[in-house]
Amino acid sequence: MASVSASDVKQIVVACEAGMGSSVMVARQLAKQLKSEGITVVHAPVNQLAETPHEIVLVHRGLSARAKQAVPDSVVIIFDMFLGDLNIAKLVGALQNGDTISDG
Amino acid sequence: MSDFIPSGADGQGGWRAGLQKLGGNLAGMVIPNIGAFIAWGLLTALFIPTGWLPNENFSSMVGPMILNLLPILIGYTGGRIVHGQRGAVIGSVATVGVIVGTDIPMFLGAMIIGPLMAWILKYIDKVLDPITPPGFEMLIGNFSLGIAGMLGAMLGYLGIGPIVSAITNVLGGGVSWLVDNSLLPVASVLIEPAKILFMNNAINHGVLGPLGVVQAEETGQSILFMLETNPGPGLGILLAFWLAGPKLLRGSAPGAIIIHFLGGIHEIYFPYVLLKPQVVLGAIVGGAVGVATFMVTGVGLVATPSPGSIFAYLAVTPPGNHLGVLLGIVLSAAASFVVSWFILKLSKVDSSEAEFDAAKQRSKEMKAGK
Repeated sequence: MASVSASDVKQIVVACEAGMGSSVMVARQLAKQLKSEGITVVHAPVNQLAETPHEIVLVHRGLSARAKQAVPDSVVIIFDMFLGDLNIAKLVGALQNGDTISDG
Repeated sequence: MSDFIPSGADGQGGWRAGLQKLGGNLAGMVIPNIGAFIAWGLLTALFIPTGWLPNENFSSMVGPMILNLLPILIGYTGGRIVHGQRGAVIGSVATVGVIVGTDIPMFLGAMIIGPLMAWILKYIDKVLDPITPPGFEMLIGNFSLGIAGMLGAMLGYLGIGPIVSAITNVLGGGVSWLVDNSLLPVASVLIEPAKILFMNNAINHGVLGPLGVVQAEETGQSILFMLETNPGPGLGILLAFWLAGPKLLRGSAPGAIIIHFLGGIHEIYFPYVLLKPQVVLGAIVGGAVGVATFMVTGVGLVATPSPGSIFAYLAVTPPGNHLGVLLGIVLSAAASFVVSWFILKLSKVDSSEAEFDAAKQRSKEMKAGK
């Protein structure tokens, strides 16, 4: 079970299949929320996760198996909804509170 | 019903991840180049003899773009994915062999030979790198790529071009058979559920798009571009969730409608369906109604509308086809709305509150546990 401390998180990558559609949308929303924490949020195709520097991977449940295959040692956060997802909200909270974040 | 939702890493390994990966790779060669497709699509819609502003000079770009530029871009991108810039270069070189070996747009051929030659070059580099004397890196690097590229282009011309064009003919024949026998709407039974499982790009850019381009080159338009990209079924589903869905999901539906229908990001409605899997029936019926309408009115598009937004649709609709295209989208949205609405209403009666408490509980456990 991979985990990372909030203070070590510099970059989060949101993955989708092409890395150009839904991941861009989620990344932009998240970037706004995390701007004050000094964390950058980028987006990438799921098969190029390994080449994208990150501390946390954010991916929809439907692509989570491939994300885990691509970066088995990274913290992978899985979300269900592209708008108003609970897991994403919880991630933002954990980052703001300085908690430890692990897979989920 | 929660079994339908792939539960994290263990629930969806195996064939689905594999299929997604294959399709994702195909789509990954096309999607970065969509801008070029749009330039070509707009040129086609505007300047061909049956277009809005027929112009012989400008329309002379249409052929070279679809036959040469777009396949080379695909071969380039496919090569780049496998082996960086050197892979991209050899993929482009080899794609030319595939292109001139046939007279149809060689998208599928480019998708094969681009990555294949990049992969071969990767191994050539692996062998040559350790034994290259200092100072000879550039000489050996350039000539190993040059020679392998030449051989790759010859392989493409002699082998891959003819094979792929035979395969394309068979697949194209299959599609015409479906159209002739009015069976094309049945395709929605496969397409819509596969979309929900995030195979949307694989289906559209990996399979339907390349076939559609062959058809569009011959007849000026193709219905195949519309099978997966129709935003109507998703619109109907989101409307149904807005009006009759679980309270938890209603609030986000209007925003999702805008992102889906205007922005063209279809992924946004997949999670709604995954949470109420029976609603996929609405997508299937809506999709089939849309395809049937497109078929009956005899409409098609000149290029892949990507992303599948209503604006992209209107941009690649050839003159005279707007009524049929819009009718198909509206009817498919209406059909999918009605079916989804009934499913949501019915499922509410027996299970709503308890189920949502359970779902909330599950997501809480997921959050707390892992």
